[in-house]
Amino acid sequence: MRCANRAPIGGIMRAGRIFSTFLFAIGVAALPLAGMARAADSDATDTAALKEIRAEMRQLREDRKRDREVIRSLEVKVQQLETKDSRVEVTTQQLQSTDQKLKETTLELQQTNQQVQSLQTKVNAPIATPQFGNAVERYLGSHSFTVTGAAGGQFVYDQQSGALDGLHHASQNSFFFDWEPMILYRPADWILFQGVFSAGFGATGTGTDLSTADFQIFLNKYMTVVGGLYDQPFGDWYEAQSPMWVNRFVTAPLPFGVEPVVPPGELGLQLRGGLQFGKLGQDLDYTVWGGNGPNFSSHVLGAAMSSPTSIASAESNGKSIGARFRIYPLPVDSEMGRLELGASTYNGKWLNGNWFNSWGVDFNYFIGNLQARGEWLESYRQMPMGQSTDHRQGWYVQAGYFLTGLKIPGIPEVINNYLRRFEPLVRYSGVNQRGVSTADIQGATGVGLGGTQVGLVPDFGINGSPATYAPHSREVALALDYWIAPSIVWQNEFDIELPRAGGLFVSPTGVETPAGSIPNDHAFLSQFTIGF
Amino acid sequence: MMKKIFVAIVLATLAIGFGSPGARVSAQEQDNMSPAEHKRLFREGAKLWPVYCNTCHNARPGGEKAPYEWDMIMMHMRTLGNFPQEDTQAILEYLKAR
Ligand code: HEC
Repeated sequence: MRCANRAPIGGIMRAGRIFSTFLFAIGVAALPLAGMARAADSDATDTAALKEIRAEMRQLREDRKRDREVIRSLEVKVQQLETKDSRVEVTTQQLQSTDQKLKETTLELQQTNQQVQSLQTKVNAPIATPQFGNAVERYLGSHSFTVTGAAGGQFVYDQQSGALDGLHHASQNSFFFDWEPMILYRPADWILFQGVFSAGFGATGTGTDLSTADFQIFLNKYMTVVGGLYDQPFGDWYEAQSPMWVNRFVTAPLPFGVEPVVPPGELGLQLRGGLQFGKLGQDLDYTVWGGNGPNFSSHVLGAAMSSPTSIASAESNGKSIGARFRIYPLPVDSEMGRLELGASTYNGKWLNGNWFNSWGVDFNYFIGNLQARGEWLESYRQMPMGQSTDHRQGWYVQAGYFLTGLKIPGIPEVINNYLRRFEPLVRYSGVNQRGVSTADIQGATGVGLGGTQVGLVPDFGINGSPATYAPHSREVALALDYWIAPSIVWQNEFDIELPRAGGLFVSPTGVETPAGSIPNDHAFLSQFTIGF
Repeated sequence: MMKKIFVAIVLATLAIGFGSPGARVSAQEQDNMSPAEHKRLFREGAKLWPVYCNTCHNARPGGEKAPYEWDMIMMHMRTLGNFPQEDTQAILEYLKAR
């Protein structure tokens, strides 16, 4: 910009100078010419010429003077222009800096505005529990601790229609109470400790035990390591359905209850995880584990599985290996409900070279108010001393329907509101096994040994019916749950025991007697339970 | 023999696990997210909660527990349900907002 302004001014200046110099040169060149003319003409003409020349020269001088003045005025103008230009420059600079400042101020204003806005939202929001929790979270950092769990009270009425293999038993009713606090401890965002301690009080006495205690390490997106004492991740029942407020029934289905087909717990290590294989909700998951392996209460046919922590029954066994895979094929957006299909296996040596093998399949489906689930499982236990395999099969199917949508016309709305909290359920379960060890029948002491016969008594979550211990037990359970909150429920269950004839009763010394036909039984259980 | 295989599997797993990039149910991770990302997770969580959390028991609402408790409980539930990590975060976002 500055160059473009100057060029024309410089041009004018140079043109002026050239012009005046040119006139002067013409004047000088004219002097000798005038002399030559004088010599040739008369004196009078000479004087006149000289006069003329003088006049011309005067004119020329005046012209030069004028030119100089013009030049000076032009120079002044140029100077003025130059100073003006620099002033413009300064002004431009000032303008630019002002602009910058303006921009900065606008930014500050925007920031202030944002702060004001966020302050406003904070002021406007009520002080809710999440905020309190956040404050607690900030205080505790990632290091946190909480107690959850469950508690339940139960009443069991068991009506006996026949004794089982000479075991004394009479119809009875009992109250029970169970408290199962669970501690969660999270030292960091990648590790969690979990432990459930249960205390039971009832007719059979007071007992406490450590149900589960494990740590969970979140290695990455697809891998979690679990170590400790945990529910057997075989199928769904032990791990995902056994807590009392989770189970829709008071009792466990037969193959996971008094006649387990696979061990309920394990002391070991798991590796597990899940991933989405398709749309949102279409998941696959896996759990593989190894542990101390299966233990049995004795070497006889039909012996019960014992707790993974009972050292007394620990055999010289090998370790176990288990695996479970589940698939959830329905996308969440399809609104076709949730379907889960699973397959599991669990294997290990239970005694020297004798293997215990098991496998199972399960399903779970729910849509709206309807939920159905079921499992089938089988186990084979190689027996020592050439005895034939201890083979067991078990299954259950159940379905429940929440009456949430119920509206009976002609009934007051208050009553309808109560009715909507009910969930009627039905379950069919059964176990087939070659033999049952009478020593393991709950509450039995010294059958066949001549000892005191305490007989069958109900226990927490066990209806106490002798028929449930039959080698070929079958049970239809009807339940009516009244849901007060998602984890507070009053459950009522009516069990119809329909055992099939067949199978063996095995004494602790291995004496086998045919079970024959076993009488049907009924039992009623009522339970109030809270998951907290 | 079984023991040796078992130990080898465990060691290999731990090596693979610790060697790969960690992805957890983490409060810190969530703090680095933009408001738009929080919103997206919340919406996904709202969709997943009634489906995933009703699978084993009745879905427990967010208001039942404080956010710091949900951090722990969702770790526990992720283990039990073997939920994909992203889905766990989405449900956590949803539960903590209520
Ligand atoms: C695979 C089955 C399963 C799924 C899916 C599941 N839960 Fe659970 N949940 C359980 C079991 C089993 C317990 C009881 C734990 C125990 O007592 O060891 C439980 C317990 C809880 C508890 C009590 C506190 C605790 O940690 O035990 C809360 C709260 C809970 N679940 C919320 C949820 C939410 C929210 C979801 C959805 C993300 C969910 N659950 C999904 C099985 C499941």
